[in-house]
Amino acid sequence: MPQVPLADYLILATVLFVIGLVGFLVRRNPITMLMAIELMWNAGNLVFAAFARNFGDMTGQVFVFIVITVAAAEAAISLAIVVMVFRHREDVDVDDISVMRG
Amino acid sequence: MVVLFWVCAIVLVGTAIAVVGSRQPVHSVVGLIVNFSALAVLFLTLSAEFLAMMQIIIYAGAILVLFLFVIALLTVGNQPIETGEGRLAHQTVPAIAAGVAALGLIAFGVRTAWSQSAASPPADLGTVPAFGTALLTTHVFAFEATAFVLLVAIIGVVLMAGRKEIRF
Amino acid sequence: MDKFAALVLVILLLPLAGAVLISFAGPYLPRVAAAVIANGTLLVAFLMTGIVALTGWQATSSGQTIPQHFAYGTWALIPPLKISFGLLIDPLALTWMLIITGVGFLIHLYSVGYMASDRNYRTFFAYMNLFVFTMLLLVMSDNFLWLLVGWGGVGLASYLLIGFYYDRVSAVLAARKALIMNVIGDVGIMIAIFLIYAHLGSAAYSDVFARVASVGAPALTAIGLWLLLGAVAKSAQLPLHTWLPDAMEGPTPVSALIHAATMVTAGVYLIARCYPIYDHAPVAAEVVAVVGATSALFAATIGCVQYDIKRVLAYSTMSQIGYMMFAVGAGAYTAGAFHFLTHAFFKALLFMAAGIVIQNLGGEQDIRKMGGLAGKMPLAFWTFLIGTVAIAGVPPFAGFFSKDAVIDAAIALHHPVLGAFLIIAAFLTAFYMFRLLFLTFFSGAYRGDGAPHDHPMVSMNVPVVVLAILATVGGFLAAPLGAALRLTFVGALHDQDIATINWPVAAGAFLLVVAGIATAYALYQVRPQLRESLIRALAGPRQLVMNAYYLDTVYHWLVEVPAYAIADAAAGFFETFIIRAIPLAASATAAALGGFARAWESGQLRRYGLTIAVGVVLLLAWYVITAYAAASQGVLPQ
Repeated sequence: MPQVPLADYLILATVLFVIGLVGFLVRRNPITMLMAIELMWNAGNLVFAAFARNFGDMTGQVFVFIVITVAAAEAAISLAIVVMVFRHREDVDVDDISVMRG
Repeated sequence: MVVLFWVCAIVLVGTAIAVVGSRQPVHSVVGLIVNFSALAVLFLTLSAEFLAMMQIIIYAGAILVLFLFVIALLTVGNQPIETGEGRLAHQTVPAIAAGVAALGLIAFGVRTAWSQSAASPPADLGTVPAFGTALLTTHVFAFEATAFVLLVAIIGVVLMAGRKEIRF
Repeated sequence: MDKFAALVLVILLLPLAGAVLISFAGPYLPRVAAAVIANGTLLVAFLMTGIVALTGWQATSSGQTIPQHFAYGTWALIPPLKISFGLLIDPLALTWMLIITGVGFLIHLYSVGYMASDRNYRTFFAYMNLFVFTMLLLVMSDNFLWLLVGWGGVGLASYLLIGFYYDRVSAVLAARKALIMNVIGDVGIMIAIFLIYAHLGSAAYSDVFARVASVGAPALTAIGLWLLLGAVAKSAQLPLHTWLPDAMEGPTPVSALIHAATMVTAGVYLIARCYPIYDHAPVAAEVVAVVGATSALFAATIGCVQYDIKRVLAYSTMSQIGYMMFAVGAGAYTAGAFHFLTHAFFKALLFMAAGIVIQNLGGEQDIRKMGGLAGKMPLAFWTFLIGTVAIAGVPPFAGFFSKDAVIDAAIALHHPVLGAFLIIAAFLTAFYMFRLLFLTFFSGAYRGDGAPHDHPMVSMNVPVVVLAILATVGGFLAAPLGAALRLTFVGALHDQDIATINWPVAAGAFLLVVAGIATAYALYQVRPQLRESLIRALAGPRQLVMNAYYLDTVYHWLVEVPAYAIADAAAGFFETFIIRAIPLAASATAAALGGFARAWESGQLRRYGLTIAVGVVLLLAWYVITAYAAASQGVLPQ
């Protein structure tokens, strides 16, 4: 069974990450932006897993597990924030929320 | 194996673009489910069985359901957002340019530094016993810290979502 | 401090004490008390000065030496510069002190009556006492710095007193003009002091004059010319004289004291005091002589056509100071001081007699509106007559002797052209003074519309009579004055005996004086028609002279207009485009920088994200470039 080269995994992960990044920067719907962030998390996870196999080390996989946990926590908190903002105003555009302006 | 990788790769990229590009958040969630499933398959090719299961259970099962709940809770009957021009000028083009530049640079670096793969991994890599052993012996502190992170997240969500009035 | 030193210091400080007392007591002081304080301090100062002078005279004539220099301590110590406060009471200073306190007292006494109805009576006496103090400081100082303090002080007092009628615009403008002109002179003296300190290493007279011989003529010439600038401004000589006629806006006692008898002669004093410098700088001395003689003639011509009684006297003052300046410039220091002495008598007398006339006519100063007053104001007439013959140079009145001494000096010291100027000026002086006398007191009936009356006031009449006596017999002070001043001008280049009269010259000058009087008599008493035709024939030149050779206009166009133009340009261009533009540019830059920073600190989540992304790209680029560079040199990146 021929192996897929490590570089292909890394580049695939990069493509996914860039799609998530561009999505985060371009979209204005906070829910879509959060999903773009999930894409970036996953791209990172893919890199960890690929290196774990490459080096035959379990640490990378454990790290993916922890990232998944943190991502879950992040998603929960972010969605809670979005819910609060939606409660306050009917129409949510990220650009309209700039109360942290310096 | 190679064919499987490329099929998954095409699915991943396609659904990722769909997630980012669709106007309806619900469509994005559906795309994201497919995306995560394909990623789980890729984890299998990387001999990470436990991670593949976690990917399906936690991401597709838990997080995306949370997304769906929020979408259902909030956007029903609302006007679709992202109508009209965004407030920020010069955002889209620089963002795409930055993304393309990052992609090019990383691809260049990857091609240069990681052109060769290492030898075959050990046979038990990524099996549930091996994973559990690593997690609960070597990385037990990180594991316990994760529990604390989740606890904080739960408290935070309860505090924020439970409040009636907030002010911006 | 011995008793003598204390006595001398008290002379100086008494007028100051009077000024301070009157100023601070202000309205709580009865008017009479202010007058008593002012007069009393001056009288005491005069008597004490007299005691000092007599003591010195007796000591000297009995062959003793008497201290002239009194040191009171260090005033400022900025190593290596040390400025002491000391007084130098030599015959030259004493001559001036006697006039300042003596004539000053008489004029104070006169002011009691003259200013009786003025509401700023106390202020007037405070200013007058301040003036006397600063003038005494000027002549008593033993170094150039305290001289400068006094020099500035008399300028200030003069400014305050010219502008005494401050509700009159012309008085305020005249005061300003006098101050500006005097400050030009002050700057000249200041520069001279800097040069003196740079070249001679001290500002004390004794040090400076002892070291004069060791310094080259060019440096001394520069010092002499800068000092002359101060003297010219203070003594109203060409070309800085234009303030003096305007200064007649002040009360008449002020004109008598400051602008005739004392302050305007400070320039003469300065040059006489600095005689060692001028003896070693013949060029500077020559310039002094030229300025003096030219001013004497110049002012005399203007005096012939003026119609304001006080302006005629002002121009005659300028002319007479020109004589003194010529004398001290030519080296005849004693003659200059002698003319100062007699001039103080007769010019103060003339001003005070004119003041009586002006007051009795209710403030009228135009001689075209006078005439025929001889019988109505006999005292004013007789005293004015004595002053006129004294200034004209009729023997045996005071002016005859002193003017003769000056003209003698011109001949003895080989100044034929300047001597001719002085002789012509003597003729003109006789002419215009008698013109003034005739137009005021004779030439038919009274032409004005007031009611001439004579209401005698003792306080005004007594000083006038005393000065009339002095103007009559003052010429006989030549012998003692000459003997005394010989003690001051030790080692001067020329030693002139002012008491001996060069009779051929004196006779010639007297003939010219008689000719001047006769001309005035002919034109103003006998043949008014001749005068009319003369005025018509000489209309052009007369216009020129009446306007004082248009020097005021020249200064207006030469100094005032460019100065205002520069100021306007500075306000318009410099102020707008540079002074205001710098802060504007600074604030604009700050605003632009702030706007730039604000654009980043927008609170916009996506903009923050883009910033992070761009930063990541840059870091990646940096990493790839360095790694690639390392790899190309055979070093693998780790």
